[in-house]
Amino acid sequence: MPKASPRSAARAVDPILHALFDVHEATLPNGLKVRLLANHQAPVVSLYTFFQVGSRNERPGITGISHLFEHMMFNGAKKYGPKMFDKTLESNGGRSNAYTSNDMTVYYDDFSADALETVLDLESDRMRSLRISDQTLTSEREVVKEERRVRVDNEIPGMMDEELGTLVYKAHAYRWPVIGWMADIENITREDCQQYFRTYYAPNNAVLYIVGDIDPKKTLALVRRYYGDIPRGPTPAPVLNAEPEQKGERRAVVRHPAQSPSVMIGFRGPAASDEDTLVLDVVQYVLTKGEGSRLVKSLVYDQKAVVSVSLDWSWRIDPGTVLFYLELKPDSDPAKVEGLLYAELEKLAREGVTDKELQKAKNNLRADHLRELSTNSGRGHALGHYEALLGDWREGLSLPTFYASVTPEQVKAVAAKYFAPERRSVVTLQPEAGAIEPGDDADA
Amino acid sequence: MASRKIASVKKTVRKAAKAVRKQAVSARNKVAAVRAKVPARSRPAAPKAASSAAATGALKLPPLHESTTSTGLRVIAAERGPLPLVSVRLVMRAGGVWDPPGKDGLADFTARLLRRGTKRMDADGISEAVEFVGASLYAGVNEDVLSVYLTTPAEHFSAMLDVLGQVVREPTFPEQEVVDARERALAQFANDLDDPSAIADRAFTRALWGDHPYGRDLGGIKRTVSTFTRDDVVRFHTERMGPRVSMLTVVGAIPPETVAAEAERAFAGWTGGPDTPPELPRKQEPMAKAGQVLLIDKPDQTQSQVRLGGPGFWLGHEDYFPATAMNIALGGGFTSRLMNEIRVNRGLTYGVSSYFDTMSAGGVFALSTFTKTASTREIIDVALKEIHGVRDGGLKARELKDAQSYLAGLYPLRTETNESVASVIADIRMHGLGDDWVEKFRDRLRAVTPKDVARVAKKYAFADRPVIVVLGKASEVKPLLEGLGPITVVPASEYE
Repeated sequence: MPKASPRSAARAVDPILHALFDVHEATLPNGLKVRLLANHQAPVVSLYTFFQVGSRNERPGITGISHLFEHMMFNGAKKYGPKMFDKTLESNGGRSNAYTSNDMTVYYDDFSADALETVLDLESDRMRSLRISDQTLTSEREVVKEERRVRVDNEIPGMMDEELGTLVYKAHAYRWPVIGWMADIENITREDCQQYFRTYYAPNNAVLYIVGDIDPKKTLALVRRYYGDIPRGPTPAPVLNAEPEQKGERRAVVRHPAQSPSVMIGFRGPAASDEDTLVLDVVQYVLTKGEGSRLVKSLVYDQKAVVSVSLDWSWRIDPGTVLFYLELKPDSDPAKVEGLLYAELEKLAREGVTDKELQKAKNNLRADHLRELSTNSGRGHALGHYEALLGDWREGLSLPTFYASVTPEQVKAVAAKYFAPERRSVVTLQPEAGAIEPGDDADA
Repeated sequence: MASRKIASVKKTVRKAAKAVRKQAVSARNKVAAVRAKVPARSRPAAPKAASSAAATGALKLPPLHESTTSTGLRVIAAERGPLPLVSVRLVMRAGGVWDPPGKDGLADFTARLLRRGTKRMDADGISEAVEFVGASLYAGVNEDVLSVYLTTPAEHFSAMLDVLGQVVREPTFPEQEVVDARERALAQFANDLDDPSAIADRAFTRALWGDHPYGRDLGGIKRTVSTFTRDDVVRFHTERMGPRVSMLTVVGAIPPETVAAEAERAFAGWTGGPDTPPELPRKQEPMAKAGQVLLIDKPDQTQSQVRLGGPGFWLGHEDYFPATAMNIALGGGFTSRLMNEIRVNRGLTYGVSSYFDTMSAGGVFALSTFTKTASTREIIDVALKEIHGVRDGGLKARELKDAQSYLAGLYPLRTETNESVASVIADIRMHGLGDDWVEKFRDRLRAVTPKDVARVAKKYAFADRPVIVVLGKASEVKPLLEGLGPITVVPASEYE
């Protein structure tokens, strides 16, 4: 697929963002990249650590290890043993969490500004010398299995999404769910985790973002002191995208007790670095942002065909999926509703958007972008997100300018290309009468 | 802090969790998994332990400028940058407790219909006006108040406040919009039956409060919503919504003088509603189904949703600070006793938390969690043991100190955005918390002693037997619950 550089559109940096992002950058000799951004509005700081590893780096047999491993990062290292990470952080006025996606694993802390050094000690300790015991792994595995039950096994959209992934992708690791298959979660060993840590958690595979009530110069000195002696690791093997071309629509049915049918549809999209990704951001806003957006107005209000319609277009390193989810009414005919959606998508590809619609999408993209940047945490995350997916956080500063330059012709062309029937995969939920009493087999 | 349990927010959260593909799995996300449906009540609040100049440094809201429009609407403005955005919140004492008899959900239903047509604009016109400039407008209710939220780029503040004024002053509630909204709500109720935690929450609220107005489902139920007519909505709007029971808060990059002038214009001629804010009598006594077990049968489940609850207290209650400190140590953070024993030591769940849900006339102390079917009894027993442990023994001095430092360090996050500042101002003024609430919060928290905690623990950590609600596969779960109290089994469809 031809890859246009995001820079091709003569993108200038947005002046408001430029003023907001006076970022200090450094790279330590061990390869750890550091980005610091001061904001003295309140005596608090957010720290993000982005590791360039996610379910994309896994293989069958240990799917879900990125996520299970993320849990293990809170279970003790050399200096701060089991339970001490949270205990130390919370008793110093901080809180922490993390998430795993297909492409990356992200850890974050929000804390009182005076706890900065303690947090650097905690974070560098686990990057340097994580300790994985059989006991904590056994217990954490049960926690993750409960998480899988709550997100997938007992949740209809979770089930459908898992089915859709295997339809859209035949060869790529995006095929399996981030949380992993249940049997694989059972199968992951301590040795697998240790191997994973050595391969992907070295400083040269990480970027540190610290945003808030800090002095960048002093903070950088502290970062050098705490992280400087962590040895560089091997360069992780690149991920091969062997996904073959899709040659026609793919369909699957999920039967489960439910009140109403529903439909989840994925169209194969571009990679984050492809300029079409940003045009699809505009398309997403045109279709589903707000009550007056095309699909909400047409399918929910005018035709009254669905209870809700949503569109998720998440940037990915390798080509991602433009995903629609239609929540129907108990007596709805899924085939008919699918037809209504396709008619709207075809109309967009055929006729494009009005100037006013396009301007509306741009105004909303800009307003949402600014809102996202209103907190330290939002700023830190945005920097990491852009750097991980676009290669440089600076790309984020020129997004508003790019969005502003999108033309109706681009919208039309992108809709025509990506909403083609041969790019889609469809999962339909067919309600099955709920078994009333014992002996039902619906929980398989 | 004040509970903002807003029906539409709850729904949005649920929907977002449902509809959008889970490409990011947040591992330790007890917050999203369990807390999402728990009010954002205790956004960590509080002061910093000893040292720290930064954290002990003064924390203040921007200056508040108060004015009143000629129609009697109180307006509070706080100027705040640097982003060119403004957040507006109009709060009315017209929440779910003021639903007429047999019309549960009418306040919420009316709130959602406000933007579906006014004397000067139809629904599409309103959506277009608001959404074109990148603003957002929505309305929802909690038990006590009906709120309309607006966020807008600062340059469009005047035009957007005008739209807000229109939807509140002169909504027309077109007949067809009422019919359509009713149908959408009923379809949504049916689909909600597939959402185990939503049904468990619904059942829990009813079991806790019984016939008390706080026991109603904020969004209503099939039986009540199916009776809603345009007349009901019009009457609710006329009788319950008006300037003298309302307050407008505006926070962001806009001068206070502009706010006062634009508010006068936007709300000119607004009449209706009661002359004084309605009050519900306060209540602090055992819950409706104390000591009983309610088991909701959903045979396809492989996991049980578990809720335990007893009496709490109302907003502005003197027990707030010691109770908050107690809760952090018991079931607040990742190092809480409940989290430690249930998740970390035993691997029984992904998420467990306890919380105080506080409303204007009463409240609840509760626990929310889930576990695989086979460990349903174990998780209940362990949770009760931990809660009773605090009830009988209070907290260790060190535990309390850690809880205080935790809340204190994170409290400034409570004032980080225009939205959160608007919200804290609204809470302060609606519930009489005092304008020094934010400034003094950390000192007051720090002043809590182990003795204070012991006192409130005796009172709230299930002094009486709690209400127990479990949603799961009844055929397997019921035998596990023997001995906890009289068990009633009902099908999930009871909660449509």
